[in-house]
Amino acid sequence: MPMTRWSSSRPLLVADMTSFFGFSSQPLSPTDETAFLADPSCGGFASFEGWVRDENEGQRVNRLDYEAYVELAVSEGEKITAEAQRRFGVRQVRCIHRIGELAIGDLAVWVGVAAPHRAEAFAACRYVIDEIKHRLPIWKKEYYASGDSGWVNCERCAQPPEQHHEHHHHKHSDNPNHSGDTQGQSGASDYSRQMRLPEVGAKGQAKLRSSRVLVVGAGGLGVPVLCYLAGAGIGTLGLIDHDELEASNLHRQTLYAIGDVGKPKALLAAKHLRSLNPEVDVRPHVAKADRSTINDLIDDYDIVVDCADNFATTYAVHDAARAKGKAIILASLYQYEGQLQVIQANQLGSCLRCVWQHATPDGITGTCQTAGVLGPVVGVLASLQALETIKLLLDLPGRLIDEVLLVDLVSLEMRRLKALRHPTCEPTCTRLPTAPADAAQATELSFASLLEASQAGFCLVDIREPSEVADYACPVKSLVIPMGRLLQNPDALPQEQKVLLLCARGARSKGTVQALRERGLSHVWSLLGGLDAYR
Amino acid sequence: MTQINVRYYAILREQAGMTHQSVDTPAHTADALFTELSAAHGFTVPRNLMKVAINGEFCDFSRVLNAHDEVVFIPPVAGG
Ligand SMILES: [Zn+2]
Repeated sequence: MPMTRWSSSRPLLVADMTSFFGFSSQPLSPTDETAFLADPSCGGFASFEGWVRDENEGQRVNRLDYEAYVELAVSEGEKITAEAQRRFGVRQVRCIHRIGELAIGDLAVWVGVAAPHRAEAFAACRYVIDEIKHRLPIWKKEYYASGDSGWVNCERCAQPPEQHHEHHHHKHSDNPNHSGDTQGQSGASDYSRQMRLPEVGAKGQAKLRSSRVLVVGAGGLGVPVLCYLAGAGIGTLGLIDHDELEASNLHRQTLYAIGDVGKPKALLAAKHLRSLNPEVDVRPHVAKADRSTINDLIDDYDIVVDCADNFATTYAVHDAARAKGKAIILASLYQYEGQLQVIQANQLGSCLRCVWQHATPDGITGTCQTAGVLGPVVGVLASLQALETIKLLLDLPGRLIDEVLLVDLVSLEMRRLKALRHPTCEPTCTRLPTAPADAAQATELSFASLLEASQAGFCLVDIREPSEVADYACPVKSLVIPMGRLLQNPDALPQEQKVLLLCARGARSKGTVQALRERGLSHVWSLLGGLDAYR
Repeated sequence: MTQINVRYYAILREQAGMTHQSVDTPAHTADALFTELSAAHGFTVPRNLMKVAINGEFCDFSRVLNAHDEVVFIPPVAGG
């Protein structure tokens, strides 16, 4: 059977200094390989043979398949043999790696080094095999006696890098397009699967590595976004979240563990992301994302991914990032649906406020807490955010530009709606609201009893739906004006009396008060905790 | 009467109990159509918080309707 070999270069005449790396799909013969290294000026020859053994991590292995990303592996392998030659001053370096099906005891890799003296020969030989194991995109599929099989080297180990054993199957192939020097220190990230995409490649990977992305919120949207971006090798990944983990988060925020309930999510996520990809500079901030904290952080990043779960945060983040000319990837969801919008960094396109000029008061249209949400629905929207982030960084086609994507996961339909820039939208978006109502002025009040509120001179207005009122009426004299009607016609409220809005739990009434205050009504307050707090 | 294809999202979908419907309406504008459908389905989100897109493009509620337009009513959503 003819030998099938892959290499981009042929060995030179034996009397010259040579360094060679290649693959073979046929069995290797140490004698034949050694013959290539004959050199009258060399007094020492060292070789290393890697054999297929019958056990891995306690599993009996029957045979295995080697697979390599040949083009990249050959060029990296040639770099390694050339480095060994230069670094140790040896004359002949040769390494051949098998691919294809191998049986127990077969020769998987052969390294030979010839040098004037033995010490350099040993050292260079050791260097070549160590670097090959560490840097080359080679994977092996092991077939176990149990009948199972598994790819080794192609996926990251679950263990953090400091715990890696020295067994060669625990070494990871690294990005073959990086120089050997950065690789040795950088852990063992392997981007080969995404680099194989023609649109990514080495150039795209380098771009991802040099990118800086800030993720706002480490919750339902934030978790998958952070994991995918860390996995993709984004160089700098900031995250800001002030919440502590709650058990109710876990069904959709899958990187956390139930034992971590009560701990700050930003720190938990950062720990996980660093073990996922030690190459990423993960920067956690345990802080509430608002205009001021985002302003403090924004200069260190190119893109902001908004994974907040409320309007107030989203608008604060958007306004801060938009003013600094940063790209923003926005997503939000409701039950089985979501919306996605990408704001371009050039400030020329439409922004969030071109579509939705004012922040809707929270509580009016429902949140994950009140309306419910399924984990995979958040996951779809988050994956789209991570995808649009990568598409933006790599300038891939098909990106969302001046559009809103509606995702309906009940019907599995997606819709791209054109959203043009509003005529009054300035680069720093002047469609900002005029000075917000005095933030110090309380919007929520609580009383010893509802009767006390009434006696204190408030007109109580029940803004719940008629069906809710029928179920349980407010026990104290009150007007009933459903929220929708009230927002459409605020004049229905008494003008001369202080007004206390109440709903079931205090969310809708708080949002409605905010909306009314923005329209200049200063004599309205919300009952903290709603009727439920007084039953 | 004009025949219009309407799609509902988020809380409107929930309150209408459907994702889409075909309506024959006397309404000439998106605004009038929304008022009509609000009354029919009991929508609670006020119109001024809503957005409308017709035939794949966001537009004003004053936009005049044409037969077979696809009208999408979209409330803002914030969940995450
Ligand atoms: Zn704008």
